[in-house]
Amino acid sequence: MTTTALYLQQIINGLSLGAMYALLALGFTLVYGILELINFAHFSVFMVSSFIGMWALELLGLSGQGVILTGFALAGALIFAFAVTMLLAGLLGVAVERIALRPMRAVRGTAAMITTIGVSYILFNAILLTVGADSKNFPNPMPNVRWDVFGATLRLREVLIWSVAVVLMIGLQLFVNRTRLGKAMRATAQDAEAARMMGIDVDRVIITAFFLGSALAGAAALIFGLYYNYTSFIIGYSAGLRAFTAAVLGGIGSVTGAMVGGIIIGLIEALGGQVFAVRWTDVIIFSILVLVLVFAPTGLFGRPSATRS
Amino acid sequence: MTDPGVTEPEGAGPRSGMMGDTFAFLRHGSPVAWIAPHLRSRVGIAMVTIGALLFPVIIRNDADIDSAANALAFAALALGLNIVVGFAGLLDLGYAAFFAIGAYTYGAFASFQIEPAWSGFWQPFQWLGLVAHTGDVVHFTVSFWLMLPISAAVAAFFGVAFGAPTLRLKGDYLAIVTLGFGEIVPIVARNVPSVTNGAMGLNGVAAPQLFGWSFGIDATPYYYVGVGLVALLILTSTRLKSSRIGRAWMAIREDEIAAAAMGIDRVKFKLLAFAIGAAFAGATGTYFVAKLQTATPEMFMFPVSVMILVMIVFGGIGSIWGVVLGALILQILQSWFLEDLSQWLHALGRLIHVEWLRQVELSQSIEMIFGIILVTMMLYRRQGLIPATRPVQALTLAEQTALVEPAAAPSAERLRVFGDSSFSGPGPLLEIKDLTVRFGGLVALRSVALTVPAHSVVAVIGPNGSGKSTLFNAVTGLVTPDSGTVRFAGRPIERLPPHTVLDRGMARTFQNIRLFPNLTVLENVMVGMHTRLRTGAVGALMRLPGMLREEEEARARCREILGLFGNRLLPRVDHVVASLSYANRRRCEIARAIASGPKLLLLDEPTAGMNPAETIELAGQIKSLKDHGLAIVLIEHKLDVVVSLADNVVVLDHGEKIAEGTPDVVRRDEEVIRAYLGRSAAVA
Repeated sequence: MTTTALYLQQIINGLSLGAMYALLALGFTLVYGILELINFAHFSVFMVSSFIGMWALELLGLSGQGVILTGFALAGALIFAFAVTMLLAGLLGVAVERIALRPMRAVRGTAAMITTIGVSYILFNAILLTVGADSKNFPNPMPNVRWDVFGATLRLREVLIWSVAVVLMIGLQLFVNRTRLGKAMRATAQDAEAARMMGIDVDRVIITAFFLGSALAGAAALIFGLYYNYTSFIIGYSAGLRAFTAAVLGGIGSVTGAMVGGIIIGLIEALGGQVFAVRWTDVIIFSILVLVLVFAPTGLFGRPSATRS
Repeated sequence: MTDPGVTEPEGAGPRSGMMGDTFAFLRHGSPVAWIAPHLRSRVGIAMVTIGALLFPVIIRNDADIDSAANALAFAALALGLNIVVGFAGLLDLGYAAFFAIGAYTYGAFASFQIEPAWSGFWQPFQWLGLVAHTGDVVHFTVSFWLMLPISAAVAAFFGVAFGAPTLRLKGDYLAIVTLGFGEIVPIVARNVPSVTNGAMGLNGVAAPQLFGWSFGIDATPYYYVGVGLVALLILTSTRLKSSRIGRAWMAIREDEIAAAAMGIDRVKFKLLAFAIGAAFAGATGTYFVAKLQTATPEMFMFPVSVMILVMIVFGGIGSIWGVVLGALILQILQSWFLEDLSQWLHALGRLIHVEWLRQVELSQSIEMIFGIILVTMMLYRRQGLIPATRPVQALTLAEQTALVEPAAAPSAERLRVFGDSSFSGPGPLLEIKDLTVRFGGLVALRSVALTVPAHSVVAVIGPNGSGKSTLFNAVTGLVTPDSGTVRFAGRPIERLPPHTVLDRGMARTFQNIRLFPNLTVLENVMVGMHTRLRTGAVGALMRLPGMLREEEEARARCREILGLFGNRLLPRVDHVVASLSYANRRRCEIARAIASGPKLLLLDEPTAGMNPAETIELAGQIKSLKDHGLAIVLIEHKLDVVVSLADNVVVLDHGEKIAEGTPDVVRRDEEVIRAYLGRSAAVA
C-alpha cells in the first residue's frame, strides 16, 4: 500500500467509526439538550444493545461469520436486527429514565449524574455476570464484497454502515424540525418551564428524548458489532467516552454538532493511530475533551452554557 | 450540645468543640444516655481510637490486618475526595489520578526504576542518604517519611495546575474534565515505561524504615501508619470544615454567585480545595505503594475513582466520619465479607443441590453492588449513612411567640470594627456615570447616572424589567458593564470581581434571596464576615489562639447583628436556612450583608413577600441602620416604604433614568406616572 492509499484507508475506517460515534453522540446531546444531564447510563445502554443486536441476528439463525446472506434476505435480516435492537434499546433508555432519573429531576447539582454512573455500573455488571467476561463473536451475514478505491479497500459493510447512519440522521433531523413532538422538544430544550406553561407535556418530551437517544445508541451498537465482528461487556466505556467527546466537540445540545463531532472523532481516532502510535490515541481524544471544554466549551455548534457566570 | 427536646437557649455559647455534631446519630439511642452530653463525642472518639489501636492485637491474623490497612488507605482517599466534592461541591471523577501521582512519585524515588549513571553530582545526595551508589548507577533511596509530604506537595501542585484552567466550569462539565484527566494520567503512566515500568508495574519499591528497622511485608506496621494517616486527615478535615476556610467552601458549594458576592474569592478557594484534596491522595498513594511495593496503571483507572465516590456517597457526602465509615465498610465488604458469603452460598448450594449457588462468586459482583449502592443512596438516602448536617429540633410554640425586645441596632462603632464603614472623603460615596449594560441586542441599562452621598438612603424604583437588578449586578461586579464608570469611596470599581467589591465595603442582597440553604443561620451570617476575618488554612489547622479568639468574636458579633431583628432569628441560629420562613430568609440575608461591615448596603426588594406588619417592622430596622451611618441603596416596589426611608428616589424605565428627586417630587412626575400607570393615567 502506498502512503496515500494507507491514509485513504484510514479515512474510510474513520468515517465508519465516525458514523457510529455520531449516532451514539446524538443520545448524549438529546438528553443534555433537555435535562442538562450528562447521562453515563448511555454508555451501558449502548453496550447492552450490542448484545440485543447479537441475539436478534442469532434468532434468525445467523451466528459467527458462517452464514452469508445476499439481496432481500440480507436486507430483511438487517432491517429486522436494526428494528429489534433500536426498539429494545429505546425501551431500556426509557426504563432507566422512569426508574432512576425521574425521581432525581428535582434535585439540583450533580446528584442525577452520579445516579447515571450507578445505573451504568448495574447494567455493565448485569451483562458481565450473566454473559461472562469473554468477548462474543458477532454474527456478520454480509458478503465479502470489496472495491478498490485508489489502492484502498472499500467493503460492502462500510457502505451499509454509512447508509444506515445517514438515513437515521436525516430521519432525526426531520423529526426534530418537522414534527409537532420535535417542535415540543426544541421548545423544552430552550426553556422547560415556559414549555410546560405552554401546555407541552414535558415528561413525554423527556421520554421521547431518552427513547430516541437510546434507539440511536442501539443502531450504533449494531454497527459496532457488524464492523468489529465482536462484542463484550467492556465496549461501552471507551466508545461512550469517545462519543461523548464528539458531542462536546460539536457543541453539546446541538444535533448537527453531534453528527459533525462524531465524524471528526472517528477520523481522529483512525488517522491519529496512523500518525502517532495507537497507544496514544486515547490521550489525544481525552486531551481534545479537556481542551474543548476548557477553551471552547460551546464546541462547534453549541449554545453558550458551559461556564457559570 | 443540647438534649433532645431542649432547645438551645438564646445566646448559648459556641458549639462545644468542633466534633459537636459527629455522633449526633448516637444521641437518640439510650445506650449513651448516661454520658454527659458535651462529653459524648469525645467518648466516642476515644472509643474509636482505642478500638483502632487494639485491632491488630485482638485479630492477630496478618491477612485481616492487611485488609484493614488497605481499607484505611481508601478511608484516607475518601476523606480527600470529601474535601473536594463534599465541602467545595466540585465533582471530581478522576480523583484516582492524584492517587497515581503520589504513588509514582514515591515509586520513582524509592525503587530500582530510575537509575542514572553515577557522577560527582550525586555525591552530596549520597551523604544525605537520598541515593545509594550501586555499581555504576545511582539508586534512589529517599525515605518514605520524607516522601509522604513531598508526594502530597507534588499531587497538590498537579491539582492546582489542572484546576486553574478548569475550575470555572460548571459542575457536570468539571466532572467530565476531571474524568478526562483521570484517564490521561494512568495511560501516560502505561506509555512511559522508562519512569513507571508501564503495564508491568514498578518493582522493588522500598518498604518504609523506622530507626533502621524495615517494615518488610508484615502488615501490622503498615496498619498503624494507616491509622495515623487517617487520624491526621480526619483532624485536618474537621478543623478546616469548621473554620473560615470550610465555610467559604460550603458557601461556594451552596451558591457560587452568592459566595462571590459575599467576598469569597471563588478561584482561590476552589483551588485550595483541589490542592488539599489532591495532597490527601498524594500522601495516600505513597502509603499504598510502599505497602504493596509495586504500582501498576490499573490501580488508578476510572473504576477506582468511582469506587471512592461510591464510598463518600454511601457514608454521607460532606460528613467526615460518614465517609470514613463508608470507605471502611465497602472495603471490608470486599475483602472479607463477600468471600465468606460466597463460601456460605456454595455450601448452601451443595446442600440444596442448586448448581447456580455452588458457582456464584460474589466478589466478582462488587461493582454491581457499588452500582446498586450508588443508585439506592441517590434515590432514597442522599445524605448517606451519617448525614453531614444534623436535624435541629423545631421551636416550640412558646419559643416562637416569645417576645424578645428588638435589641438596639448594633452601634455604629461595633458595625465599624471590622471594616471602616465611615467614609468622609470628598465627593459622594458611590458615583455611577454613563453606565450601559447590553445583553446581546437588548440594552438593559442605558447611560444611567446615580449618586449616593454618604449616610443617605437612595431608592431605585421602576416597573418590572426596567433594569433595577441589573444596576445592582453591574455595580457589584456580577455583570461587566459595557461602558461607564462606577466610583466607590473615591476609587473606580467597575472592573473589579464581586468579592473585591464586597471587600471595598459594598454589600448586597438579592431579589430572589440567595442564601446558602444547607448552612445554618449563624454560618450564613459568618460567611458574610469572610473578608473581615484573617484565618488561613494554616491557622485553621493549628488552632492558634489568635484564630480561636477571632472565631469567638466573630460569632458574638453575628449574634449581635442577628439581634437587630429581635427574636426573629436569634432562637434559630442553628437552624439551616432552608427551614426558615420567607420573611426570615430575607432578614437573614440582610444580616449576612451587614456582617461584612459595609459602608454601603444594596437591598434588592427587602420587603418583598412580607405582610404589612412585617414590612413596617423591617422598614424601622432599615431606618435604624441608616441612623447609625450606613448608606443604603434600596430597590423597592412598596412606595410607602420608599417615602418613609428614602432621601432621594431614582426612577428607571426600560433601562433609562426617567426621573430623580425627593420622594414627593418624583411622585408627581408625569413621566413616572406614565411609566407606572400608562399614558392615559398621565394625561388624566
